[in-house]
Formats: sequence, structure tokens, C-alpha cells
Amino acid sequence: MTARASKRLARWAVTAPPLLYLLVFFAAPTLIMVLASFRSPAEFGGLAPLVDEAGKLDLNVDSYVRFVTEPVFMRVFAKSAGYATVTTLFCLLLAYPLATLIASSGRKYRDLLLLLVILPFWSNFLIRIYAWMIILGPNAALAKLVNGTLALFGAPPVPLLFSGFAVLVCLVYVHLPFMVLPLYANLEKHDQALLDAAQDLGANAWQRFWRITFPLSLPGVYAGAALVFIPALGIFAIPDILGGPEDTLIGNLIKQQFLETRDWPFGSVLSIVLTVAALVLAGSAAWVARRGARRDA
Amino acid sequence: MTARLVAAAFAALFAFAAPAHARDELHLYNWNNYIAPETVKRFESVCQCDVVQTYYSDNEELLAKLAAGATGYDVLVPTSNAVQALIRGGQLKPLDKTAIPNIRNIDPAYLNTPFDPGNQYSVPYAMSTTILGYNDVKMKELGLPTDTWAVIFEPKYLEKVKGRVTVLDSANELFAAALKYLGYSANDVDPKHWDAAAAVIRKAKPYWAAFNASSYIKELTVGNIWLVHGYSNDIFQANQDAQAAGRPFHILQGVPKEGAVLAVDNMVIHKNAPRPDLALKFINFMLDGRNSAELTNLIGSGNPNMDAMKYIKPALLELPAVFPPPALKAKLEQLKDLTIAQRRLRNKLWTEIKASK
Amino acid sequence: MRRRSPWLWAAAIVAYAFLYVPLLIVVVYSFNDSRLNAEWVGFTLDWYRTLAHDEQMLRAAGNSLVIGIVASGVSTVLGTMAGLAMHRYRLRLLPILIFAPIAIPEILTGVSLLIFFVLLNFTLGLVSVALAHIAFCIGFVAIVVRARLAGMDETLTEAARDCGASPANAFRYVTLPLIMPGVIAGALMAFTLSIDDFVITFFTAGAGTVTLPLAIYSMIKIAVTPEVNAVSTLLMLLTLLLIIAAARLSPSLFRSQGDH
Repeated sequence: MTARASKRLARWAVTAPPLLYLLVFFAAPTLIMVLASFRSPAEFGGLAPLVDEAGKLDLNVDSYVRFVTEPVFMRVFAKSAGYATVTTLFCLLLAYPLATLIASSGRKYRDLLLLLVILPFWSNFLIRIYAWMIILGPNAALAKLVNGTLALFGAPPVPLLFSGFAVLVCLVYVHLPFMVLPLYANLEKHDQALLDAAQDLGANAWQRFWRITFPLSLPGVYAGAALVFIPALGIFAIPDILGGPEDTLIGNLIKQQFLETRDWPFGSVLSIVLTVAALVLAGSAAWVARRGARRDA
Repeated sequence: MTARLVAAAFAALFAFAAPAHARDELHLYNWNNYIAPETVKRFESVCQCDVVQTYYSDNEELLAKLAAGATGYDVLVPTSNAVQALIRGGQLKPLDKTAIPNIRNIDPAYLNTPFDPGNQYSVPYAMSTTILGYNDVKMKELGLPTDTWAVIFEPKYLEKVKGRVTVLDSANELFAAALKYLGYSANDVDPKHWDAAAAVIRKAKPYWAAFNASSYIKELTVGNIWLVHGYSNDIFQANQDAQAAGRPFHILQGVPKEGAVLAVDNMVIHKNAPRPDLALKFINFMLDGRNSAELTNLIGSGNPNMDAMKYIKPALLELPAVFPPPALKAKLEQLKDLTIAQRRLRNKLWTEIKASK
Repeated sequence: MRRRSPWLWAAAIVAYAFLYVPLLIVVVYSFNDSRLNAEWVGFTLDWYRTLAHDEQMLRAAGNSLVIGIVASGVSTVLGTMAGLAMHRYRLRLLPILIFAPIAIPEILTGVSLLIFFVLLNFTLGLVSVALAHIAFCIGFVAIVVRARLAGMDETLTEAARDCGASPANAFRYVTLPLIMPGVIAGALMAFTLSIDDFVITFFTAGAGTVTLPLAIYSMIKIAVTPEVNAVSTLLMLLTLLLIIAAARLSPSLFRSQGDH
């Protein structure tokens, strides 16, 4: 086989299996629902037939029009984006030291430390959230501490539970491993020699971090940010369980369209907008990262 | 090597998934903890079959799954408005009345409803009401009434329990309560009345701790929340838990004098049921008084079965939220399913309520 | 071993504490003598006893474990391929198919997969759930593997090819050890996602299929009893033991470049 044919075969062998799998089990079903955004909902739930009794194709853009003409949905989108951004930042702040510690450990401890990070997440999501409800409850130690301190300053007590704070804490908690793992995978390959050389040349700890480690770790940071921000944008279970009356996110609205309102076309429209927004954000972040990399190179 | 690994993985999965059952199976799709384990065991020995249970926690989940085409279920247990939607969607198999003679045990007041005239498709199974639940010590302390919806809608009462009240996270239930509070029917579809109800809700919202349908009972039981808009079964259960934990208060049911929503859950057979014969056997079995009473004794649910009364614990028969006296019965309403236009309007109002400050 | 700053240790310990305080509550409350997961009442082993007799919960846990292993295995293989492909070649379609499943709300994916399976007359069951899980896990693995590969030069791999290694061998003996931490991180992520998934599993499960999240979420409106804490504690321990055993049995698989 010629070298070029061999290269093409290698490319195909690596690209084809995931591509085919995703085309069949992801793209095809999703296209069904994208089409659904142009259909009408059935009275009792689900979708109206594609071809109505008169034999005509029943497609319309009613649901898109509705999205554009009701501004409340954009407000909720913006709020969800805000929560997701804050979650990503805090995840990064907590994950970076963890990932650094694990990556710089000897082989014996490294795997164990990594497993320790992910172990809590093999317990069920619901009881982990319930554990947070116990920690943040009005009669628990934390609330007493916070409200006691506030009382010293004459401020009224604030509820920790059923609030935006509780939602954020749990969002960070639930997404933390998805920031730690990509960061670790990237930091692990950093060459200590670079840092030692920098130290010999007089750089202090902060300079070594900010000018060497962090830029090198950016691909890991972006991967982690993507794996936290994008799912956090669509989450609904956490606000449902411990959110306050104002903590409705776009994920909750989408769920309502599919369940309570039984308006699948509109749910589809909201989902498409969410997905496109998330992909555009991820794409722009990646584009910015590439430009940054090219600039520094 | 990859291909071999993948093939081996799927082979293992197929082998693991392949059922090795010798007996017949009845597939029951039900709420969790909505049938007593003893009842299931008794049925299994009577019919010499296995009852395979899967669960949903909301009517809407059931409707969504069936609307997308899922099959394999024999008996479902939807609430009346969901039964209405299923009938309209052609999802149910008509019942063969000759196979379920025990239907005569059901109180005629619950038969022949507008959403299923003649009980062609459904028979009532168990009931609950959506009412107030409260911490008796706290409510007495604060001097708040417990027999009116005003206590969760009027700021003059809410001020005293700010941050200690939850309401259900359900547009249908909350609008029904607000409509009842305003003196309208819970099934009123006049958009002007809906606007009035939305205004009432928006005014009260700042005082509520949360819209919650899942963890509110827990918080009520431990004393973090003092007043809830919730289901009578859950409130009954909360009191049991509170007493078991030795709490210094009781969780009581408050039935508002303006009336409330009655939710009747029904047994129906899915149109593609694999074993409609077993399904009918099961339905007839559950219509027997003794079997029906076991659930009531377990979770404090209402019971439309006249034959079951003699098996139910007397203390339960006294609870107005579970067995409403005639005067109250007249004020209870079952929710009707809405048209898509109405559902969209309600969702618009609900979204605006949720997204408002 | 490198000397690490005490600030790093302090920050890492805070992070570990953040991770583990809720987990400790989960484990401790599995011994709580109360039906609710709300306040400590007293010590009891009853919930473990209940679990031992609860055939359905045990079967659900077993199903979740099996689906988790299969889904994470297959999605790690496919995801590693995808990550490698995206790093090496300029692709347009695959990156979209990788990022989209992460962005699309689960409820949409769940409903659409159900409709899809019904259209194909595919019987719902454990297999349909596994297929669905693989579909949304591939993206996570691919992104992590690509992040690992970023900035990594291909000179080593090219050198291996120049020395006469076949593409498969070059991958197995050169590339794979280099990306192994990324692959393992991706596999761990995929497993975690799979055993805890509810929405997609709800829609793609068959009439008799119960996984642990399905069993647990259905309790959400009544009471999530400490039996759930018990089964979660045991599942965590079991998974930890399985991984340690796997690591012992195939040390070469887990060794990455730089270890000898």
C-alpha cells in the first residue's frame, strides 16, 4: 500500500467509528426533534401528525415566533448563563490546586488521589444534594455561624437553603470533577525541568505559575471550562430541589415544555437555541484560545 | 482488538440483559410506594406470575414516555386528568367489564366521570387531596388560621411565616389553589380569572421559601418549614415520621374552606399491553376491599372502595383530608386536562411568575 | 518527589474537604434511624438489612454497574479515537457531533432517542440504555483526550513510523502511553456520568428495566430513605475495589509515560 493510501486508511480508521456511532445514535434522533420544532403539538401531548387530514404537510414556525416575541425566555437564558459562568470560575479556583497536587505527586499516590476526587460522585446525585440540604439547613452549624455573624453587624438573617447561594454551591460541587480531570490530564505532562530552569533564572513562585504553568495548562482549562459551563447551562434538578422562588433556569423551562405543558415543538426550539448558544460560546472560546496560542508562539 | 473488545462488551450486556423468567409477567407502571408490598406478594401467589414494577414520579413523565411511543407496560396508574389525555390520545385499551366484577365495590360517586363516561377505560384506585400541611405548634404560636388558602396568599399572614412556607412547583396545582381562593372553580379557563390568580401568586411569592414538590415534606418534618401547600398523603406521612422521630410537634392537614383539588388515581390498561388478561386479573384483585385497604393503611391515601372501609384503620377514617365529609366533598374538584392553547397560556403566565423578581 | 508549597497543600485540602463533607454525611446517614435524610436521630443497621432483602434495589444497582462499565468502556475507546482524530486532522463534522450531546438538554436527547428506538422497532431494555449512554459519554472522553494531546508533538509517533512500526503498533506503544492519563480521566468521567444518569435513562429504559437512579428518583416525592445512602455507600466501595483490582491485574495499562 502506498504511504498516502496508508495514511488515508489510518485517518479513516480513527475517525470513522466514533463518527458513525454518533451519526446513528445522536445525529439521527436529534434531527427528529429539530424537525419537531417546526411541527405542531398534539392536543393531548406529543406531536401532531406530520401530514394532517387534508394531506398537507403540517410545518410552521409558530414556536420560533413565540420564542422571539416573549422576552421572558431571554431573561432566563441570561440568568442561566450567569450561574454557569460563576460555577465555572469557582470550579476552576477549586480544581486547579487539586489537579496540581495530583499531577505533581509520585505514581504511588497519584492514582489514589485522583480516585479520591471522583469517588464521591459514584454515590447517587440525589442524596449528595440532600446532604447539602442538611449542611445548609437553617438549624445546622453553618447557617448559625453565618447568621450569628450577620447579627453582630445588625443585619437580618439570610436563608442559606432554598436560595441562589445553595444552587451555586451545588452546581460547583456537582461539576468539580469535570474540571479536575481535564486539568490533571494536561498538568501531568508539564515538564518540571522548565520550572526549575525558570527558578534558576530568578523567577519566583507566582511568576513561574503565571508565565509558565498557566499558559501551558490552557488547553486543560478550556476543556474543563467547556465540560462545566455547557452542562451547567442546561441543568434543572438542582434548582428544583433546593432553589428559591426566583431560581428558575432555562433547563427548568425546557423540562416544563416537555412535561407539564406538553408543547414539544416549543421545548425543541428552546433546546435548539440553548445548544446553538452553547456551541457558539465554546467555539468562540476555542477560537480565542487558538489566536492566543498563535500570538505567543 | 478494539472491535473484539466492543463485541465482547455487548455480548456480555446482552447475556446479562436477557431475562431468564419461567413465570408470566405483569408489567405495572406506577408511582413509587403506591402499592403495599404484601398486596403485590399476595397477587403474585394468586395469579402465579411475577409483578415487574417500574416507577414514575409525575403524571407528566408517564405521558411523555407514552407519547414518544414506549410500550411494554400492562397496567398504568394515572391521575384523572392524565387519563383524559391518554384517552384522547388513543393510548388505552377498553376494559372488559365481565372480567372485573369487583367494580361494584366502588362508590358510585367516583364512577362514570365526565372524562371517562361509563368507565370504559379506567377504574378508581386511590385518592389524595391537595391541601395545607402545617406545624401545629408554630401555627398556634403565630396565631395563624389553617383552614383557608389565605394563609399562603395574603401578605398579612405570610409576614409571620416569611421564608418558612413552600408551595407546590406545579402550575396546575398552584393556579387551582389561587382560583379557589378567589372564589372561582379550579377548572376555570377564563383568561381574566387566570390573570387575577397570577397576580395573587406574584404578590405572595416574595414570602415563600421555594416552589417545591420534592423535598418540602422532609423540611416540614424536621421543622425547617412550617407551612406547605402539599398532598394529603405526603402530609400524613410527614406526621408519622415526625412522631417516630420524637419531634415536639405534629404535622397536621388543613383543609381550606374554599375547597381544594381532589386527585383520583385510576388503573388503566395500555393499548399495547403484552398481557391484558393478567392486567384485568390485577385490576379485579385491587378492587377487592381488603387489598385496596392495605394501601390506605400504609400511606394514608383516600379510598373510593366501599368494601375497603371495614379494613381501614379507624383513625384514618376520621381525617377530613383523606375521607372528606359530604359538605367538604362538594367543594373538592378534580382537575380537567387543558387544551394546547390553554396549556400554552398557562405556561406563559407561569414562566412570567417564575422569572419575576 | 518535588517540594510543594504549603499554600498548594492548604488549597488542595480545602478542596478535598469541600468534596468530602457531604460524602461523610451520606455515609453516616446510612446508619440513621429515621426514614428521612434530614436529621440525625440514632444509629441503626436496619437500612443495610432492608437493602439485603430488597431484590429490586440490588438488581437496579447491578444494572447500573454493568451499564456503567460497558458504556464507559465503549465510549472511552470511541472517544479516544475521536480525540485523536480531532487533534491530528482538521475535521468539521466530528467536533460538532462531539460538543452537541454535551450542550443539548438531556430531556430532548431522551425523548428523541425514545422516538428513534420506537421507529426502528428496537426493544427497550438495558441495551437501549447502554447505547444512549455511550452516545453522550463519547464527547466527554474526546474533549479530555484532545486536551491531553494539545501541544504534544507527533515527532515520537513519526519516529516510530519511520522505524517501521505499523500505525497500530505506533499507536499502541507510543501514542497510547503518552495519552493514557487523559484516557483514564475520560473513562472515569464516562463511568460517573453513566451510573448517575436519570433523564436519558428514564426515556430509554424498557418496561422492566430499573437502574439505580431510576429507582431512587422515583422516591423523590415520598422519601429518599437511608436505604439509598446504604446502597450508594456500598456501590462506591465496590467500584473502588473493582478499580484497584483492575489496576493490580493490568499495571501496564495504567502506567503512563515517565514511569518505569
